[in-house]
Amino acid sequence: MGFPEEVLEHVFSFITSHTDRNVVSLVCKSWYEIERWCRRRIFVGNCYAVSPAMMIRRFPEVRSVELKGKPHFADFNLVPDGWGGYFYPWICEMARAYPWLEEIKLKRMVVTDDNLELISKSFKNFKVLVLSSCEGFSTHGLAAIAANCRNLRELDLRESEVEDLSGHWLSHFPDSCTSLQSLNMSCLSSEVSFSALQRLIARSPNLKTLRLNRAVPLEKLSTLLRRAPQLVELGTGAYSAEIRPDVYANLTEAFSRCKEVKGLSGFWDVLPSYLPAIYSVCSRLTSLNLSYATIQSPDVTKIITQCPNLQSLSVLDYIEDTGLNALSLSCKDLRELRVFPSDPFVANANVSLTEQGLVAVSEGCSKLQSVLYFCRQMSNSALTTIAKNRPNLTCFRLCILEPRAPDYLTFEPLDVGFGAIVEHCKQLQRLSLSGLLTDRVFEYIGKWAKKLEMLSIAFAGDSDLGLHHVLSGCDSLRKLEIRDCPFGDKALLANVSKLETMRSLWMSSCSVSLGACKRLSQKMPRLNVEVIDEQGDLDSRPDNCHVEKLYIYRTVAGPRFDMPSFIRTMDQNPTYRS
Amino acid sequence: MSKGLSLLCKKVQAEMLELPNKRIRKHRHTHAHHTMELELSLSPPNQTRHPIKKSRHGDPCRFPLVSWNHDEDDQQPNTFFTGDYQPDLDDDGEGVIGWPPLHSWRKRLMEENQHERVEVFNRGEHHEEGDININVMNRNCNELFVKVKMDGVGIARKIDLNAFHSYQTLTTALIHMFDKYVEIEEDGAAYKLMYQHRDGHWHLGGDLPWEMFIRSVKRIQMVRN
Repeated sequence: MGFPEEVLEHVFSFITSHTDRNVVSLVCKSWYEIERWCRRRIFVGNCYAVSPAMMIRRFPEVRSVELKGKPHFADFNLVPDGWGGYFYPWICEMARAYPWLEEIKLKRMVVTDDNLELISKSFKNFKVLVLSSCEGFSTHGLAAIAANCRNLRELDLRESEVEDLSGHWLSHFPDSCTSLQSLNMSCLSSEVSFSALQRLIARSPNLKTLRLNRAVPLEKLSTLLRRAPQLVELGTGAYSAEIRPDVYANLTEAFSRCKEVKGLSGFWDVLPSYLPAIYSVCSRLTSLNLSYATIQSPDVTKIITQCPNLQSLSVLDYIEDTGLNALSLSCKDLRELRVFPSDPFVANANVSLTEQGLVAVSEGCSKLQSVLYFCRQMSNSALTTIAKNRPNLTCFRLCILEPRAPDYLTFEPLDVGFGAIVEHCKQLQRLSLSGLLTDRVFEYIGKWAKKLEMLSIAFAGDSDLGLHHVLSGCDSLRKLEIRDCPFGDKALLANVSKLETMRSLWMSSCSVSLGACKRLSQKMPRLNVEVIDEQGDLDSRPDNCHVEKLYIYRTVAGPRFDMPSFIRTMDQNPTYRS
Repeated sequence: MSKGLSLLCKKVQAEMLELPNKRIRKHRHTHAHHTMELELSLSPPNQTRHPIKKSRHGDPCRFPLVSWNHDEDDQQPNTFFTGDYQPDLDDDGEGVIGWPPLHSWRKRLMEENQHERVEVFNRGEHHEEGDININVMNRNCNELFVKVKMDGVGIARKIDLNAFHSYQTLTTALIHMFDKYVEIEEDGAAYKLMYQHRDGHWHLGGDLPWEMFIRSVKRIQMVRN
């Protein structure tokens, strides 16, 4: 350990993963000191687990900050408005403390136009802004970013809810800005000035990723592509236009010049006649997102069978079992498959997509690691087959549309099927359950899913024993989210110390009592036990009443104070604080 | 298995069979509580029991606050099944909030795609294959989809009213359709069909002639008496 600091710092510069750097900092006091001064990238998985001041105090020379705010179930409207996740306290402190900050990446946080303006004016070398599923800002904030960030490299608004006042923001990029490498505006609806967009693209020779929004018409796509033949990722706008031979010819020719394109997305409002225009890039595609495209199985299949290098595919269930079968035969390099429902509420399946499609892909695609599959029926035998075919699965998210649907062949619960998944897929990190499930499936999960980090449970289980199996058995569990399950106080109170080893636990519409929340909070000072109850008046409720929603997370920052009135952190007994 | 918990299990089962409108699934397999020994211990069933582990520092905070072998089990009310549990329904009456788990922007996109279909029919227009800027599934232009909700079933459904020609055939079909998900006795005699008119008001099915009905109905609810 007698190396001079500079040598150690140089060695540490090769260590980039957050977990590795955390481990390095624990070796000894001097390594801790050296490491904290040379840490450049910070990831905070829960913005309430630590305070901005604490982060800045420990890591003074940071260049990149990544924060996550709301719980995952916020994506499905289970987290009420006003919950929190405000970027404001972070940007206030960072603007002062990190003048050389280059990157900000936020997920599920509330960001305002003022915050964006502060970003644009505080960091002279600001390069990367990624706002994933964020909200609270408008296109005015984007205009500030465009206008003031001279060296902007990346602006990615993926899936954020933006108050779209006008498309004028894009015109705020100065003519001197030539540094853009990545622009994702697909979540916006307003039309931007096409000439401003065209000029921006033309003066950005390093532009590799361009995701347009729906408002960019197909007739104009070829003009843009011609100015950016170096693109690697392209998201089209609306993919339909009047049937005109010249538009078609231009489009085909423009695509054929894009020799570097590896990823395609967009494809709103697809007119199938225009699809062949992309055929020339298919052989190089590694990623294809057709999940907005309401095209039928033959058209989807026609494309897929021309993409032998495909690694990631997102589609609607219009692909049907036949399309998935074709996929399994053509795309031997497939790693990730996501199939979304086209019409979840139709009585009888509007498309012929069943568990067989997934089984076929599991058989044919030996590298398949990640699955998100919405379907209407499933069987234990299919799940077992999938598990045995693909022991290399790391992410398995199955959503059978009807809650508590049993095995459609035997009417049994799907315990055995999911049990097979966790037993065979020993590297499984993420699992989402659905269908009819008893406590038994949790017994299997607790027994086998030792690498599982994130588990989503809905409408499952019989008793507290189910939750107890998970909390006591899943050694690697970090995030657990549960809704509408008969889990109550016993399992929680029997596994209190487990909760400190996890990032967070969400439980909604379960059977946890207010009294248990209070007890938990009193005994565990390093947990925030937050009760969400929109019916109001928590103070006058008896201890045995059930809470609507519960969010428990570990923190070194103590209780938060930015909550609306219907969220309450359970009081911690002062005598138990260290 | 502790006596207390075995009594609890039997009570739970009895309640489950009595309450058909709590979204109980009809399934033919023997319920897990019979075949699996529900042992209350810190380890999963069928394994040797371990004593409660003390933390190394003897820190009282680290003791689990409840041990499984607590005899108070049978005295605690089984509050899950007393009926104070109600699923959150979303504004549309579509069914349960946040299910299926899809982003709201994806749901909006889906709804847009569906509106196109229904609108096309209701305007009485038929579009040629490949027409401009119309996102219509051209499989079957003669479709009239309305949403149907049945008391006690979590997820709403959509059906094509053109497939029926009378209230009776419609009601019969709905009963059969939902039969998979909720216990319906006497061929659904306990249910009546309510519908929401275009004007927003709810009516009992049967007050309008069929042809007029299918042109005015916005959504349907099967209500249990």
